Amino acid sequence: MNIKNEVLTRMYIVLVTFILLAFFLFAKTVKISYVEGEKWRAVANNNYVKYESVPALRGNILSDDGSLLAASIDKYDIHFDLQVNGLTKKVFEENVDSLAYCLSKYVNNKYTPGGQLMRLLEAREKGARYFTIAKNVSYEKKNQISQFPIFNRGRHRGGLIVERVLKRDMPFKLLAKRTIGYASREGANDVGIEGAFDKFLSGTNGQRLTLKVSEKTRIPINERAEIEPEDGNHIKTTLDIGIQDVAEEALMDALKYHDAQSGTVILMDVKTGQLKAIANLEKTPNGYWETFNYGIGTKIEPGSVLKLAPVMALLEDGKVGIHDQIPIHKGRRTFYDVEMEDSSSKSFEMDSTTLLNAFAISSNVGIASLTSKYYQGTDKKGNIRAKQLLRRFDQFNITYPTGIELAGEPMPFIKDPVKDSKEWSGLTLPWMSIGYEMQMTPLQILTFYNAVANDGKYMKPYLVSEILDKDGCIKKISPTVLTERIASKATIQKAKQLLAEVVETGTARKLKNTKYSFSGKTGTSQINYKNQRKKKQKKFGYRSSFVGYFPSDQPRYSCIVVITDPKENGTYGADVAGPVFRKLIDNIFYLKPELHRALNNYKRPKLEGKDLPEEFAGNLEDMEIVMKTLDIPYVNKSDNPIMTTSIVRRDSVHLIDRPRGENLIPNVVGMGVRDALYVLENEGIEVKFKGKGKVMKQSISPGTRIKGQTIHLTLG
Amino acid sequence: MSLGRSLSNELRGDTAIWLITIVLALVSLLAVYSSTGSMAFRVKGGNTEFFLFKHLMIIAMSFLIMYVMYRIPYEKFKKWAPFCLALTFPMLAYTLWQGADINEARRWIAVPFIDLTFQTSDFAKISLITYVASMIGSKQEYIEDFATAFTPIIVPILITCGLIAPADLSTAIILFLTCFLMMFIGRVHWKFLGLLLLFGVVVFALLIIAGQFFPEYVRVDTWTSRLTEFFTNSDGGYQVQQSKIAIASGEWIGVGPGNSTQRNFLPSPFADFIYAIITEEYGLMGAFIMIAMFVWLLIRTTVLVTKSAKAFGAMLAVGFTLCLTIQAFVNIAVSVHAVPVTGVTMPLVSMGGTSFLFASMMIGIILSVSRHIESINDLKE
Repeated sequence: MNIKNEVLTRMYIVLVTFILLAFFLFAKTVKISYVEGEKWRAVANNNYVKYESVPALRGNILSDDGSLLAASIDKYDIHFDLQVNGLTKKVFEENVDSLAYCLSKYVNNKYTPGGQLMRLLEAREKGARYFTIAKNVSYEKKNQISQFPIFNRGRHRGGLIVERVLKRDMPFKLLAKRTIGYASREGANDVGIEGAFDKFLSGTNGQRLTLKVSEKTRIPINERAEIEPEDGNHIKTTLDIGIQDVAEEALMDALKYHDAQSGTVILMDVKTGQLKAIANLEKTPNGYWETFNYGIGTKIEPGSVLKLAPVMALLEDGKVGIHDQIPIHKGRRTFYDVEMEDSSSKSFEMDSTTLLNAFAISSNVGIASLTSKYYQGTDKKGNIRAKQLLRRFDQFNITYPTGIELAGEPMPFIKDPVKDSKEWSGLTLPWMSIGYEMQMTPLQILTFYNAVANDGKYMKPYLVSEILDKDGCIKKISPTVLTERIASKATIQKAKQLLAEVVETGTARKLKNTKYSFSGKTGTSQINYKNQRKKKQKKFGYRSSFVGYFPSDQPRYSCIVVITDPKENGTYGADVAGPVFRKLIDNIFYLKPELHRALNNYKRPKLEGKDLPEEFAGNLEDMEIVMKTLDIPYVNKSDNPIMTTSIVRRDSVHLIDRPRGENLIPNVVGMGVRDALYVLENEGIEVKFKGKGKVMKQSISPGTRIKGQTIHLTLG
Repeated sequence: MSLGRSLSNELRGDTAIWLITIVLALVSLLAVYSSTGSMAFRVKGGNTEFFLFKHLMIIAMSFLIMYVMYRIPYEKFKKWAPFCLALTFPMLAYTLWQGADINEARRWIAVPFIDLTFQTSDFAKISLITYVASMIGSKQEYIEDFATAFTPIIVPILITCGLIAPADLSTAIILFLTCFLMMFIGRVHWKFLGLLLLFGVVVFALLIIAGQFFPEYVRVDTWTSRLTEFFTNSDGGYQVQQSKIAIASGEWIGVGPGNSTQRNFLPSPFADFIYAIITEEYGLMGAFIMIAMFVWLLIRTTVLVTKSAKAFGAMLAVGFTLCLTIQAFVNIAVSVHAVPVTGVTMPLVSMGGTSFLFASMMIGIILSVSRHIESINDLKE
């Protein structure tokens, strides 16, 4: 055989071998795909490995100054997969001692290094894939653990499994708890800001591949999630931590003092409608606790605080003026078969009084009679007159919800004489006029008062001012005007007068304060008055409320306080709810220096006669500024810009030249130091002075010849 | 002269081999492109384009290298072979000592500036095969003589494979097998081949003993665990199971390009387990084409041998073809659980690093040989 043939023969042998090998490999492939196919596809469908969601970090909720109201905190669970391929016997055996030592020293000192070692060896023996190292550890701790021997080799070579668990923390605990709310609790509706802004806060969950290692356990396969979660945005609220804190404390104290069932405080920024504080407390077996957002979610019969609405309707319709005398029937009157009574003893002495006074002393009979007179029954054309009152209520926005961002705000319940004709009786209108037979939430009542405080401009109340991501603001939420003016300027003006009178002379006069002014209305309603009316039940509870705003002249904040079923130390609005309001605005007054009136911010007295400045001298321009600022009548007869003096002529001041001679010492008495120095030093005279104020005396008499003297000035 | 004719003049050599290379490169591109369909990658933000672009660049560079090699008369390699081989030894030693520790094995050294890691064993393969081919070719007349012919061939083989084996046993075995088959085809006597095998076993045994003293450098641990797993677990470990799921999911025609789900579960799906991914996406049809391409390559080389006048050229082509084919078959065998798990790429298909460049270099040299043989045949006619 020649060389070439032998080579070829051997080449063919190799070729055939490889073709056989190729057949073998293809046959193996077919076997897996076709013969064993069912089995493997079943494994694939068995979720042996599947994606699981990785929670995104929920955004924080901040107060108006950026303090954390609710924050997400990263915590980590750390497990050890002792079966990973990269963790060879050698690596494990060489490092397990040091790992055990580190774990014992830095993670869990329940076990000695020896004890930890035993546990690790046992886990390795059993081939544990999800051996718990630590749970709920901080980010820093997690980083530390990741640096331990073996673990520093990562997921595939060291078996380290790090899973992020997220905790929600409210650093201020009780503070505005229900308003901040919560989301995604199983079996419960999302509430509060957490619920309402969930789509911003929640972020987007990531995905990570997990491997099923036992019936209940899935472990992540890779070190990082395949799709990293996108963390949620932060929400900046309008809540003011300081005010919120005071509101809760004041409410808590009052509830305890009066042994009341529950209470609500809401405080609003007048101009913007921003809610600065919402506190809700309720008696529970474990003391008072924030369990429900009564302020926003629960309708109550407003009682006397809503007398403002029918009175404003009457004013708006021009039926009555606030100084008109209205009958109050000595505080007792029967409507059909039911008696209405005033609670103020003042009423019992009067047949009639002004509307202003009737409102101030909260005369039920007065307001109800007046309202009945104009809105009960039908007019000459046969129209139902109550419809007009309801049109006015619509105009005041009190028949609509406020539209606050939070879920669960109910519609106000206000009867309509046509639609609700079955429930509409002769008693409806008079009782409606004093805030019964209707229901509104405290927030809805407050928003109405806020509009009055805001010169009729009805602002939508809101709680969230900004949505931020990690780089800053991504959406700003501006105040929303729902109605430009809910009533005529004159009506609003009169309403303000009425509310001021309540504090000045009326039911809330004992809350009056000299440092600042506030206006508002008290309310004391019976909780189960219907039963009482039917004499079915003797014992009945009260609801005490106060709603108002301050300061009266330029309102900054409006606030409502509602306390339900106070059992001790009084029941009246002025005794129970009013003091909470006072305490709150007192605190705000001290917290906010800009509310303080300037000490000299009063009308200046007119200066005349001896009060006018005589022999007051100096720079002409400066003197004119002083005269103008102090409203001193003056006549300028001077043309000397640097040396002018004043002389008093009857009731005005004349500014004239101060005469001086060439090379003679000038008269600087009555001048300020600056002016005196200017004049004297220009003449080359050395000046020494002592004291403060104007020049009273000069050591060298005016008119003396100048020859380089030193002059001593006495100031005073 | 028409364009077609000028192109065919320019690119002579075996058309089939050109075609095989182009088909494999296309498959490679598709497989990598498929990663764009992967949710995991897409959401991670633009990384796919980066990989795709990088891979495209490597393929373009590979074809350039292939063309350059193809243009160089292959006889020149004969002269260069001893120098390259002499360079290989210190490079392998350095890699073993200092190399980049990727996936726990010291197989790579980083190439500065171009952001690629360079597997020194790839360079060693080319050098050694060229050297062995030249030795077999030049000593064909007295090939059966031990001292003059056999020793100069086997000593470099044993040294090279011995240096590669500690960090990369499979590559060493593939190279050893390639050289062994080259010698077999090159008419080396049976008893010498037996002796070569014996030496191979001795070197391997020495390595295992060395592994007891230098575990950092010889991965005896890994070998043992992979072998144990292979023989004790009939379903295979996690990786093999995932690979089998991929193959089974493909059924006959596959789930379609870019629809692989198993790429998310397989470690290095576009390198070590690319056969499984191709089978998942293109079914048994795709698997058949892959295997067929390498068999066809071997057939074309056999045809070349029948035409070849000079032993060196034939041996060179045979050596490179065997090397590529064995590597491809090992890669496939891992995916179908016919051999223990080992990280061997599919030549001309797997994404990543310089292995693609070196495989193209081999193809280029094979084409150079075929061009030469064709031109001689043309002259004869």
